[in-house]
Amino acid sequence: MAAGAADQPIPGNGDPISEEEALRRIRLTDDPSAQYYAAWWLGRNRSSHPEAVPLLQEALRQRRPRDPGAGVEENAVARNAARALGKLGVPARAAIPDLLATLEDDDHGLREAAAHALGDLQAVDAVEPLRRRLASGPAVAGAQQPGTPRLQEPCEALLEALGQIGVAEPAVLAVIEPFVVHERPLIRSAACRALLQLTAEPRWGDQLVALLQHQQLHVRRAALMDLGAAGWREALEPIAATLAENSLKLIALRGLVEQPGRESGSAGAVPDAATVAVLDVMDALL
Amino acid sequence: MNEPDVNALVEGVQRADSAVGLLLATQALAASAHPQAAPCLVEVLGFNNPGAAVAAVDGLIAIGEPAVDTILTLIDGYNYGARAWAVRALAGIGDVRGLEVLEDALGKDIGPSVRRAAARGLGQLRLEVLEPQPRRDAAERCLQALLDGCRDGEWVVRYAVAVGLELLAPAVHPHLAEGPEPQQRLHQALLGLHLNPAEEAPVVSLRAALALQRLGVRHG
Repeated sequence: MAAGAADQPIPGNGDPISEEEALRRIRLTDDPSAQYYAAWWLGRNRSSHPEAVPLLQEALRQRRPRDPGAGVEENAVARNAARALGKLGVPARAAIPDLLATLEDDDHGLREAAAHALGDLQAVDAVEPLRRRLASGPAVAGAQQPGTPRLQEPCEALLEALGQIGVAEPAVLAVIEPFVVHERPLIRSAACRALLQLTAEPRWGDQLVALLQHQQLHVRRAALMDLGAAGWREALEPIAATLAENSLKLIALRGLVEQPGRESGSAGAVPDAATVAVLDVMDALL
Repeated sequence: MNEPDVNALVEGVQRADSAVGLLLATQALAASAHPQAAPCLVEVLGFNNPGAAVAAVDGLIAIGEPAVDTILTLIDGYNYGARAWAVRALAGIGDVRGLEVLEDALGKDIGPSVRRAAARGLGQLRLEVLEPQPRRDAAERCLQALLDGCRDGEWVVRYAVAVGLELLAPAVHPHLAEGPEPQQRLHQALLGLHLNPAEEAPVVSLRAALALQRLGVRHG
């Protein structure tokens, strides 16, 4: 996972606004900058207003050819709308068909945002299209586009979504596995994360732990986030010892505590000894 | 370590002409834990070199109380980044003179990493060195700041508030606080963090449950 997502700066005019104001601004189709901020706001604040999802679906359809001279380009609104839908949970599942259509868009950034959202919504219907986009493997889907640092497909987002949705079929695993030897460490990290989530096999966790030692900080950060997302408890000590910011280690360790499938935090729950061990490490990082 | 040796280490920091050089020189100076190193270590906090700043904070914490006046005197005119690191140092040292800076940081700082350090720091000030009345007053200020922090928008700050409240609990024991009321407010705040239905981070609720368990408060 590209690190720092939690600390992304507020886009555009970052003034505090009400939900009502956000819903007004997202309708302003002739002011993409206002819509851009409103879409972000609705996701960030997890709006449960009944109009939020339909309006974001509308904004997601607002896609036009890129015009770099026009300030906020229109696909930026669609991208933020996709990301916001991913954060709105069950009500946003109504938008899955729209997100599936977006996954076929020509715009790389839009496909990426749609993949993230489909993963967040755990959209089982997305597994096959996601798998198909990756099926040509590291040599095609994972090849660098001429003239840009981008790969042909937003591989990181596609891999992460498959891991998050959680369908561990052999055909899915077979498509992910070749990416664990991709030339880019962030892609390797995303592939290991997905396989760890889908199979819980220690070998994938071990590879992520090895990436915590990578000489580049941004790789270590990504491996931290990926171990956290997978909730790999065996990584507790290596995470604590990683050369990276405490803020990111704390996010990763939160993932270890809240690992998927584990009942935690419900009323009356008292943490078990293994959880207390993670909490103790977190306390020391504050 | 005697003074000339510390001066040589300070010179090493001042002469450093690369990020790595600064980091190594700061680590060496920090390891001296000598009070004379404090002004230079505080200066390093303003250099926008995170690695060196971490080493400087460790060094200031190792120096402890003798570094507090230097920190408080020097941070005022400093940039935001330097102040953030200074809050971490004051939280780690635990000297009561840092109380106002920690209160301010938890209540107003824009950086979650600063607020979380301040929240933990407010739980671990060494109040026992004070006379009974100032001690009660200081404990009350810590408690109030942490109670306000329960509403922070960032999960990691609310987590740190739970930790801070657990650490502060002995200081508001009815025996010391001249009554049960402060302790009740502290327990109530932890129950609030534990049971808040709007809490988006289960780890916060869990950490509050652990604090309540350790403090022997029945819940859930």
